[in-house]
Amino acid sequence: MIRRPGFPVPEDFTAPSHAPLVAARLGRWLGVAFGLCFVTGLLSHYLQHPPGWFTWPTRPVNLYRLTQGTHVLSGVAAIPLLLAKLWSVYPRLFVRPPVRQPIRLCAHALERTSVLILVCAAFFELVTGLFNVAQSYPWGFFFPAAHYAVAWLAVGGLLLHVAVKLPIARVALSPPSRREKTVEAAATARDDRDASGRRAFLRTSAGVAGIAVLGTAGVTVPWLRRVSPLAWRSASGPQGIPINRTAAAARIAVPQDWRLEILWPGGRETLSLAELAALPQRTANLPIACVEGWSAAARWTGVPVVELLRWAGAPTGRPVRISSLETIGRYATSTLPAAHAGDPLTLLALRINGEELSPDHGYPCRLIAPSRPGVLQTKWVTRLEVPR
Amino acid sequence: MRAVRLLLLLLGVAATAYGGRLLLPQLGTTVPWLIGGPVLHDLLVAPLVGLVGLALGRLVTDRLRLAWISAGLAASATLLLVAVPLLWRPPSAPPNPGLPDRDYPLALTAGLAVLWTVIAIVLVVTAVSRRVPHRPTDSS
Repeated sequence: MIRRPGFPVPEDFTAPSHAPLVAARLGRWLGVAFGLCFVTGLLSHYLQHPPGWFTWPTRPVNLYRLTQGTHVLSGVAAIPLLLAKLWSVYPRLFVRPPVRQPIRLCAHALERTSVLILVCAAFFELVTGLFNVAQSYPWGFFFPAAHYAVAWLAVGGLLLHVAVKLPIARVALSPPSRREKTVEAAATARDDRDASGRRAFLRTSAGVAGIAVLGTAGVTVPWLRRVSPLAWRSASGPQGIPINRTAAAARIAVPQDWRLEILWPGGRETLSLAELAALPQRTANLPIACVEGWSAAARWTGVPVVELLRWAGAPTGRPVRISSLETIGRYATSTLPAAHAGDPLTLLALRINGEELSPDHGYPCRLIAPSRPGVLQTKWVTRLEVPR
Repeated sequence: MRAVRLLLLLLGVAATAYGGRLLLPQLGTTVPWLIGGPVLHDLLVAPLVGLVGLALGRLVTDRLRLAWISAGLAASATLLLVAVPLLWRPPSAPPNPGLPDRDYPLALTAGLAVLWTVIAIVLVVTAVSRRVPHRPTDSS
């Protein structure tokens, strides 16, 4: 095995971690992690930019908490799995292109291109996602749009990669009896050692993915709040719930004569805060579940939106547009779909955990609806509008 | 299988093209972040991992011990990577009560300490348990 030193070739890498079986197994795990990320991410995107055909249930109240927690935690698990997979296939980087055979050269180029797209997109999604959950943006692009676009690149690259590698993966992942027939049956001492080396590498990869999840899952799993050293949020914060956007950041000044306005085709009604507080109140345990994957439940007290519309004489069973005192920013208004607007748990909350809402939590009143992203739970509400 | 592969290929091309079209308006600012990952990994991270692996293989000859130490290093590196945005935060974000949730350098140190304590315990336990059943045969 003495070779003159120079640019490495794939055969230089002899460790069992580079076996096709390891690459195929890791590929399958990564496929699951990326698949979960993509599906839950797509759901979150549609919730915030709903196409006409899209509907989302209001029950269970923790549904969005669950899907977005899955999104972020499967992304965290994918970090060590991606690195393990890339280490496993690192020798393939040094395959010399078959320059003299045009057809094989084309296949080689296609494979390299698909892998390049996949790896670029995978790193991009994991790195930008990780910075986003810490609300750190050391780049010049608009995160949600770029993260969404590159997700399609990642899925496209993944599908191309599977299309190219399917025959190899099928052989590698088939049961040992079949594999032995396909490859070779000799069970020597070296094979045994390689098999245990492969198992050790796979177990380490899975274990490290588990540790990474455990180290961050406190953002959304209550009993891990104080255990996860790297949770970017927990349930602490003013009145027991963290704040994403403060009243100062949103430049909120509540006017002395603040009144809630309810508008519908052919009618208008207004209420003062005292009048709102005098209406029958309902208390509900609902989570704030943020796109950043953190979530925390609180006890909210307020007037159900559907009851408020009935009291005013406005039509129900339709979408409702909620406007904030906030005039700057993308989340100054939100639209409650008809299902959420009609749900008796959708509250215009005045109180949180038994206290009056603090300015940062949306005083004088805020929207809190079951199974919705936190960015759509509009704070500092000033108007409800039932469109035509 | 040919039909499945062809279908995957077509879906892959369609998804990639759609993603590319969506990304077009932000291509200039995203390209460095797209290329950066593979370049950093292939030129820096992977060779470094290989060198550390070679050196570790020379230093630790027992295979079980080597496996546990490698696992500890992999877990530590992953925790460090996940911690980067929490430890290195450009001050662009507005202050958010509840966001700098804990003392992250301290939490990370504690996490790593727990990890390596567990690994040290496992190594000691396996070394002891291995020695005990072998003793009668060793003395014979």
